[in-house]
Amino acid sequence: MNACPKQIGEYMHEYLDGDISREHETELKAHLQSCDDCRQHMQELNSTIAFVKSAAVVSVPLDFKQNVMVRLPKGKSGIGVQR
Amino acid sequence: MDALINKRIKQVLKGDQNAYSDVVSHYQQKLYQVCYRMLGNKHESEDIAQEAFVRAYINLHTFDLNRKFSTWLYRIATNLCIDRIRKKKPDYYLDAQVAGTDGLDMYSQISSSDRLPEEEVQRMELQERIQYEISQLPDKYRTVIVLKYIEELPLQEISEILDMPLGTVKTRIHRGREALRKQLGNL
Repeated sequence: MNACPKQIGEYMHEYLDGDISREHETELKAHLQSCDDCRQHMQELNSTIAFVKSAAVVSVPLDFKQNVMVRLPKGKSGIGVQR
Repeated sequence: MDALINKRIKQVLKGDQNAYSDVVSHYQQKLYQVCYRMLGNKHESEDIAQEAFVRAYINLHTFDLNRKFSTWLYRIATNLCIDRIRKKKPDYYLDAQVAGTDGLDMYSQISSSDRLPEEEVQRMELQERIQYEISQLPDKYRTVIVLKYIEELPLQEISEILDMPLGTVKTRIHRGREALRKQLGNL
């Protein structure tokens, strides 16, 4: 990727953030078609995102709310009192 | 939804503490999830997420009802998580010599002890591996990656939560993605 235009890396991230301009996207796509290294880099970034997004939902403990309510300072005076 | 939450907040401000339980019900899952992904420990995440709700309650009079409550709540929680992460890293002894290592200090120990051997990482279950890789990210990247890809929040909202310019959030997400990509190698 050393010989590749410097902005290609930035365009990849613009693309992943969904805020790439049409010109940059055209340039990025043309480059990816001709450059194996950058194509692989882009592929790895996509897999990285898919990997993180496959994180399972961690359920909140059943007594969570109860425990929060118990921890609240009692009475109206609790609100606004600096700790 | 925001209208109902605001109604409950007003009730709480008038002294009705029970109204707060609806607020907790509504956000507890999301808030716990963020804390869990940031800290990687159930007990600690529960404690920090609860603390975030308590702090929000105590400081509720400072909340601007024209803004989004979740943004404010996320900010309290992410700050608490970052504080906790930094406290866990006792960097004050970093330049102390390590006994029996003939002049090696903690700096030379940290990188080797931080990451597990590759064979061990390869053996992890997927979910365990995901949490492990997230935990390996420096906290400033970890926060944005969790908010963006676990909570799926828009960049603009992340910028408000972290009280950081949008450009900085983007830079951190870019670097966070590259850091994770390198950690994962050819997964």
